[in-house]
Amino acid sequence: MARKLRIRVDHNVCVGNAMCETFAPHVFQLNANRQSEAVNPEGDTEEKILEAAENCPVSAIFVEDAETGERLFP
Amino acid sequence: MAMVAVNDDMFTDDVIADPYTYYGRLRDEDPVHWNEKYDLWVLTRHADVVWMTRHHELFSNAVFRNDPRPAYPAIPASDEPLYDYAREYQADQFIQFDRPEHLEMRKIVHGYFTPRAMEAWRGFVKNAITELLDAAEDRGHMDVMKDFATPLPLLVIAQMMGVPKEDRPYVRHLAEKLLYIGRGEPDRMRPFVEGMQGMIEYVAPLANERIDKPGDDFISVLAQGEKKGVFTRHQVLVNTSLLLLAGHETTINLMCNGTLSFMRHPDQWALFKTDPEGLAKRATEECLRYDAPVKSIQRLAAQDVEMRGKTLHKDDRIRWFITSANRDPEVFANPDTFDITRDPNPHVGFGNGVHHCLGATLARLEGQEAFKALAQRFPNLHLETETIEYQPSIALRSIKSLPVAFD
Repeated sequence: MARKLRIRVDHNVCVGNAMCETFAPHVFQLNANRQSEAVNPEGDTEEKILEAAENCPVSAIFVEDAETGERLFP
Repeated sequence: MAMVAVNDDMFTDDVIADPYTYYGRLRDEDPVHWNEKYDLWVLTRHADVVWMTRHHELFSNAVFRNDPRPAYPAIPASDEPLYDYAREYQADQFIQFDRPEHLEMRKIVHGYFTPRAMEAWRGFVKNAITELLDAAEDRGHMDVMKDFATPLPLLVIAQMMGVPKEDRPYVRHLAEKLLYIGRGEPDRMRPFVEGMQGMIEYVAPLANERIDKPGDDFISVLAQGEKKGVFTRHQVLVNTSLLLLAGHETTINLMCNGTLSFMRHPDQWALFKTDPEGLAKRATEECLRYDAPVKSIQRLAAQDVEMRGKTLHKDDRIRWFITSANRDPEVFANPDTFDITRDPNPHVGFGNGVHHCLGATLARLEGQEAFKALAQRFPNLHLETETIEYQPSIALRSIKSLPVAFD
């Protein structure tokens, strides 16, 4: 079974570039301010989520293992 | 409509020298301002700029393709065919597309510029800075613009393009012509178009070579986009020169304007020198906020839009000002104070939304390393001039020359 992830988007940094939504569309969605929210951490594969985080142009996405707290990105 | 008595000539000497007073007044008094003279809306508040750039479906980036209005400031009638060429050429830049095409195009180039990918360039940037400052140190003085800020981004971009070393002077020659995009002189079209045509001719054989034998350079990335059917050949060539242009003039301005901000605020320069390594990131963000490389960018209204009680009609031209948004008192405490420890610093120096600057991470990295190196090597850095002159541009905040000495 895939491990559970904790995903955080820093809204002080997010510029609404929306690339995360392109890479992991079931996890990331833009809110009313057009900033990204991780609406469903289980919506896409871990690979896609990490790719989304990697492609954030302002490094606003933080991913960790929900159980162990191990940092997976950055 | 409330009318505000304001001189609509945005190219007068005083507005070019000090855009902060003029656009700051508009921000305070008439934030959605109709400029009669140039037939465009002028947006100046941070909240409006962020809202507008994040609603890309309401505001189109396809300005060159769809805006029929003449060049401004005016050019001679005999140069109009050149302007038409420039317009068609620039219309093929990926930033001049809206979704869905823009997303497909950006996806081709986006991966090349991720923060992690750019971090791998820090060593190259540091070495280039060391070489340029070694040469300057031997002379005892330099023009930051000509001797430091102009060659640095060019060296980086030439490397990214995979340009042979012996061709660099020629690429620099073309880049100098392309830099006319930021000028306001009536005769600016000819050198600009020569630069564009020269780039097309220079890059074409490189693209030919790399479409079948791709390397890890940026032209190969674009050529693979052609292979996937996302870019035409013309778009591959035009977007290569976009990289040269967008990554060049803007970085020059960051380095020059930032250096000038430090020199005009000796307390902040002294503070920076106490810990250049630790302060470089926030200091660079403050340079991007306080005296941003880009002053304004255009959009076209994609449909009728209401803003602060005014109606922007479909196809109306809009210019949004980073210059005033970055000093908006509703967002920044003491907005006119240069404070290199400011945090958070949500400036819009790179824009916002889906068109947020592709090269932002690279520009930040170059700024951080440049300011750090200046502070570490030349603690006594000082200006060698009383007067600073700017290019007569509405879009770019470009210093003409910035002589400094180190003793």
